Amino acid sequence: MSKKKIVLAEDNSTLSMLLKFRLEKEGYELFSSVDGKAALESIETNQPDLIITDIMMPFISGLEVISHVRHKLNSKVPIIVFSSAGQEEMVLKAFDLGANDFMGKPFSPNELLIRVRKLVT
Amino acid sequence: MMEPQNILTAYKNFPHLIQITWGTTAVLIIAIVILTINLKFWRAAKRKKEANQQKAQAKFESLILEYLYSQNDNPNYLSTKQLVIIDAFAHPIKVKWKRRIIVKILYNLLSEVSGEMSDIIKKFYFRTGLYKYALFKLKSKKWEVIGKGIEQLTRFKIIEAHQRVKPFLNHPRDEVRKEAHIYMVSLFGFEGLSFLNTIEEPMSEWAQIEILETLQEIESQEFCDIKLWLKSNNRSVVLFALKLAKIYNQFEVNETLMELLSHPDKDIRVQTIEVLTHLYGIEAKEMLKANFNDLSLEEQISFFKLLEKLVMPNDEPFVEKHLFHKNFEIQLLALKILKSINLDKFLHIKEDTEKSSNSDILEYVNNL
Repeated sequence: MSKKKIVLAEDNSTLSMLLKFRLEKEGYELFSSVDGKAALESIETNQPDLIITDIMMPFISGLEVISHVRHKLNSKVPIIVFSSAGQEEMVLKAFDLGANDFMGKPFSPNELLIRVRKLVT
Repeated sequence: MMEPQNILTAYKNFPHLIQITWGTTAVLIIAIVILTINLKFWRAAKRKKEANQQKAQAKFESLILEYLYSQNDNPNYLSTKQLVIIDAFAHPIKVKWKRRIIVKILYNLLSEVSGEMSDIIKKFYFRTGLYKYALFKLKSKKWEVIGKGIEQLTRFKIIEAHQRVKPFLNHPRDEVRKEAHIYMVSLFGFEGLSFLNTIEEPMSEWAQIEILETLQEIESQEFCDIKLWLKSNNRSVVLFALKLAKIYNQFEVNETLMELLSHPDKDIRVQTIEVLTHLYGIEAKEMLKANFNDLSLEEQISFFKLLEKLVMPNDEPFVEKHLFHKNFEIQLLALKILKSINLDKFLHIKEDTEKSSNSDILEYVNNL
């Protein structure tokens, strides 16, 4: 059985590595991107089963990534959004644009794994 | 082509002004060449330093992540792999720039992850001995270094350092005091607030806000007795205790709050009225009503806000007396209160004063 693919858009390299380590250990194939622009390229190339994106990123924000996936690519791939304190408005916008779930930072990687499992069936 | 000897001879034959111009030009050209070479070396060294830092960061990141994922089922014991990784950090943490990178990685991780993982990060900080360098900062003569040291000990919850942090609770610099206060509250919760019993220096408004924010983050919400702080000689401690009374709905301190209504400090009296309003301190109403004319304008406004919340029909004559008070805010509050307790009377007054200068405010209150 082929591995389920996940695109992770996160500009914090340490967190990105930490999640890659954790998710790959669980059997997922992870494609990390450091900004929204690289994430969009990765999404179009890899056709992932799940997208995990931070809201605030250089060049293209997480909201633009969601909008591109839902409206330009017309894809229904599940999207999880990371947000920090004070970004509640952004989270609401993310849901309006079609995000499926969100996690506020700081978050527990174990909890993220549970949510990933739920969305990637 | 001119021979060098001829150039020198020609130069000597030039007038002085031309000689100075040529001389200056030559000096400037040499300076530009030296500076360009210097800049090139400096940039190359900087690039090399950055590359080294990036390389070290990548190496430390992967080692830290390996450490995090090598945790035993029993969190009290370290796995063999974790012990090896801690050994690998023994040398780098002695080098200042490497230590800075390691701490930065840990800070980054702490702000992004929570739960079990964040506990492992804090343990890593302790086990590697990084906390000793934060403790070392406490010995610095520079206040900003001390502040940074305490901040780091707070972030990584180094409870063992509390005796070393204690002397900074009364530090002359507000920034250092604030860090020490946050350390105590962050690590010991409400119990950590015991420093309020003894602090002599004032707490800034910003420090108070940060402490309240820290208190809201702690898991245990077991509150402590604030009466002693309400009676403190330190003005800022009293104001902070009033904030605590309001946020944590301390109905049991109403009696002490009543005593504060005659405190010599006006700000404390005003804030006390606000807290009593929040805590439905009905007993304060009659007392303030009786002394209304002796109150400062701010207290009078606060009292009318209290009355807006706790008004009873028998307050009507008092409210009516102040319907057209010289202060706009009191006037507005009095009209709103009257409208809420006796609409007919309010409408009657409105009709009577339709053409007077008060008609606008009456119309406004009527439309509320």
